[in-house]
Amino acid sequence: MAEDCDKPEKTAENGGNDRLASAGRRGVLMLGAAAATSVVTIRPALASTAASVLNCKIPIPDPPNGGKYISQDGKLVASGTQGAFQPAPRPVTGDEAKKMINGMSPPGFDPNARQAYVNYIRRLQHGTSGFTCYASLQMPGR
Amino acid sequence: MRYAADPPAARLTVALDELVAIYHRPSGATHLLAPPAPELLDALAEGPADAADLLARLSRRFDLPDAAPDAIEARMEELVLAGLAWRA
Repeated sequence: MAEDCDKPEKTAENGGNDRLASAGRRGVLMLGAAAATSVVTIRPALASTAASVLNCKIPIPDPPNGGKYISQDGKLVASGTQGAFQPAPRPVTGDEAKKMINGMSPPGFDPNARQAYVNYIRRLQHGTSGFTCYASLQMPGR
Repeated sequence: MRYAADPPAARLTVALDELVAIYHRPSGATHLLAPPAPELLDALAEGPADAADLLARLSRRFDLPDAAPDAIEARMEELVLAGLAWRA
């Protein structure tokens, strides 16, 4: 008689991955009605995975303000304003934003506009396109 | 309709009595799953499957009093919506 047959069906330590494997005895599993819900997703407000930081995008400026210029201190000003810079040619990735903050300008970007763009990114507010991306750069270890 | 899921190593799971909390590493999202969703994900570890395959895999381990392919499909669509599985 194998002793394994009598092992507990599930312990707190064995987590969920081996729920099936550890079910030594047959349990009853209800599949539920078609309209029932069995999954709830919790999405963190600040995406903290390495992948999201590399791939997330920060438009400069955000789409509702498309066409506006960016002043040296990062504020959005009317198109054509003297001393301000044209919108960035494309949204920057989180990775590029990090490099810009460290003094590098992405290929195809006006290097003179770098500081204005960085100031714009720093001023991003919650709810503005790109804010979550920028915020995730501020998380420890990024 | 065939479904597939990431291998179990892509998930960190913690049993919470009747529920299971799953942290999905590729997306960074956390999910709370009620039966039979965790069991369906486990069953997909064997490889992509349609509702009939999944019923067969589950019935090896469980008694399924209300077994019906459309219930499996409904549960799987929830997992797809959550990003834990996809249509293969």
